[in-house]
Amino acid sequence: MMFGRLLWSLLRGNRGRLAIALVAVISGATVISALLNVEFDIGGKLAQEFRALGPNLLIAPRGGIQTEDAGASAAALMDETTLAAVLAKVPPAAMVGSAPYLYIVARVGDAPVMVAGTELQEARELNPSWKLEGAELKGGCIVGRNVAQRMNLKPGAQFEIKYLNRASRLQVDAVLDSGSAEDDQVLAPLATVQRLAGLPGRVQFEQLRAKGDAPEISAFAGRLSSALPGYDVRPIPQATQAEANLLKRTRLLVGSMVILILVLTALCVLATMAALAMERREDVGLMKALGGSIERIVALFVAEVGVLGASGGAIGCAIGVALAQWIGERVFGASIATRWEVFPATIALMTIVAMTGALPLRLLGRVKPALILRGE
Amino acid sequence: MFARLVKESFVRNPRRKILTAAALALGIAVATATLSVALEVGDRMAHEFRSLGANLLVTPQADTLPLQIGGVDYRPVNEGAYLNVSDLGKLKMIFWRHNILGFAPFLDVPATIEGRNQIHTTLIGTWFEHNVPVPDGSAFQTGVRSTHPWWKVQGRWFDDDAKECVIGATLAANYPGGIAPGQSIEIAGRAEAGGAPAHPITLAVTGIVATGGAEDNAVLAPLALAQQLAGHSGQFRELFVSALTKPADAFARRDPKTMNETEYDRWYCSPYVSSITLQITQALPGTEVRTIRRVADTEGRVLSRISTLLWIVTLAALAAAILAVAATSAATVLERRVEIGIMKAIGASNSLVSGIFLAEQLMLALIGGAIGYVCGVVLARALGESVFGSPAPVNVLLLPIVLGIAAIVAVIGSLVPLRRAARLDPAPILKGE
Repeated sequence: MMFGRLLWSLLRGNRGRLAIALVAVISGATVISALLNVEFDIGGKLAQEFRALGPNLLIAPRGGIQTEDAGASAAALMDETTLAAVLAKVPPAAMVGSAPYLYIVARVGDAPVMVAGTELQEARELNPSWKLEGAELKGGCIVGRNVAQRMNLKPGAQFEIKYLNRASRLQVDAVLDSGSAEDDQVLAPLATVQRLAGLPGRVQFEQLRAKGDAPEISAFAGRLSSALPGYDVRPIPQATQAEANLLKRTRLLVGSMVILILVLTALCVLATMAALAMERREDVGLMKALGGSIERIVALFVAEVGVLGASGGAIGCAIGVALAQWIGERVFGASIATRWEVFPATIALMTIVAMTGALPLRLLGRVKPALILRGE
Repeated sequence: MFARLVKESFVRNPRRKILTAAALALGIAVATATLSVALEVGDRMAHEFRSLGANLLVTPQADTLPLQIGGVDYRPVNEGAYLNVSDLGKLKMIFWRHNILGFAPFLDVPATIEGRNQIHTTLIGTWFEHNVPVPDGSAFQTGVRSTHPWWKVQGRWFDDDAKECVIGATLAANYPGGIAPGQSIEIAGRAEAGGAPAHPITLAVTGIVATGGAEDNAVLAPLALAQQLAGHSGQFRELFVSALTKPADAFARRDPKTMNETEYDRWYCSPYVSSITLQITQALPGTEVRTIRRVADTEGRVLSRISTLLWIVTLAALAAAILAVAATSAATVLERRVEIGIMKAIGASNSLVSGIFLAEQLMLALIGGAIGYVCGVVLARALGESVFGSPAPVNVLLLPIVLGIAAIVAVIGSLVPLRRAARLDPAPILKGE
């Protein structure tokens, strides 16, 4: 009871000094809790950014070898419904999306052009780096920029493609700038190309993007492979290995920065608290002179800074969560999930740090009170 | 006299001074380490991102559309435009030549592997590691090793001067009777309709390559062999370039035609994708340079986000360190009110008292700051070593900056309590009230 009353008057009597200590604790706790929240969420956020690399797996028929000069030959094709049935069972948590492809060399006027039949909406979602110029996709086709340039096609224009003795009229929905092979192609709805080629329900390969890190992706590829006998499931190394390495590097960078700042900030608060505690030597001397045992006096001061650490930690945590949210919005354009375990961890850390800072007061136990009171 | 007073005040009670200096040093160490990393990280991460390979594609302007399905090129050899290998050295003469980390020319030739059953495929001619003469007299070693570092080869790559080749994984898996490094294949350029059949050449297989792209169905061989098969000596069709670029910002997205002279110079002299593209077009006239958006976009997005994140984290850590340092300084002054009271009672003016304390705080800040700078540099180097494999270079320019920050923060932290102390009457302080 007496201890509580003493503690209360100690806290009330030193408001100016305590305010300064509180500022140090709060700022440390803010940074620590914000960084911890960011660190817990950054893996997912960064993986999201790497989506721009596009598909990372390819399903292709086995034995896709060409022994004759022809476009798509039925032997080396896959069955669309078999693929769709297997892919429909994949949980959305394991896969971002997939798109089938069927290629033919068709003619536009007199010029040969590669036409890729695909699900346009899916293909577009699978390749976030594609820059489309034109209106929304509405059942027409996407024309690669080189094709558009050569054939003088603009969004809204119509043209006819011919393959063998069949023909189809297509409307240009958008012009695509991808910087890769698609710039030289016409991307048309899969059904249209299948009809032109006379290959209903057949596709040449399926591109997809699996979620997760490299081992997760190869495990996923293994599962797909066993569900699809006769088909090859191959990773695209640029989007798996190179991406995984970069992601690891980036995470390591942010992680080590966080740990570095965490440790230094905690030490900085510790030193600040220790410096503040050392200023209390006169109070200690006075209390000792009045007959207090050094254990009891130190316990009192440790309790004082403990209260300070806990309350500063709690306030700092709340500000830190807001800071983490702001960082998420500012950097990734998405909020950072708040991890509630950060709260007790930060508060505990700040309390321990503050209390450790007060422990040097024990050293004063050996000093005679008279010396301290004389200001030596 | 002033110096003696300061010295006396500084030397007395060393334990307290050590703690204050330690708090200062730790705060400054945070500032130095985070600033060093944040200043460096853009360049270093950009280098790391080159493991994604080429980000620019150079093609002849008047080219016809490529018609390639599953590794087989359906375009006749004589159709379309070609570029000359002899011009490639000019790429290392452009303004941003040091940012051109590598390039690899490609020439696709429709080909047939001879044997019991003929296999139609494409022979892709390129360089693995080739010495390109640069007009300034030096040589630059480049090839797919730098433009496609993620191409994994089982066995080894071909020698650029030997009659060797590397076979795509799918082609190898489906090869009748199987094929492995050590064997050899006979390959010929596909005869044009009505033309004379070409002479096959024998290539030793040195490896199997898996790329996840059209190359998996093709044969990769030295560029010179492909040129020989195609009858296009010294020529190629596509050039992949890996260039170190700066993520596009609002300025980079502006149309260079709308810029005035200073803005244009600034744009031209910044390693943006767009300005490097222009410089390559100038060095290789008649070409079109396209950005491989998949690579460039990913790099741009991740890099700009990482550097923004690190800057925010750095500023937050800096702010926390500043507040802690200011708190320490404020506490030091606050606790010495009795001393201030005595000084004032024996006739010291407010400015003398403030002067002594500020001088003491400044000395602490400089000592603590210097120790903190050294610790911060060591930590930043260790961090660079563990993340990027090579320590960050020491940025000496940071020393005056962080010392300045330490001094300003310590002075500001002590000014508030000093001003309050100046207003106080010495008598009640001395009485201990």
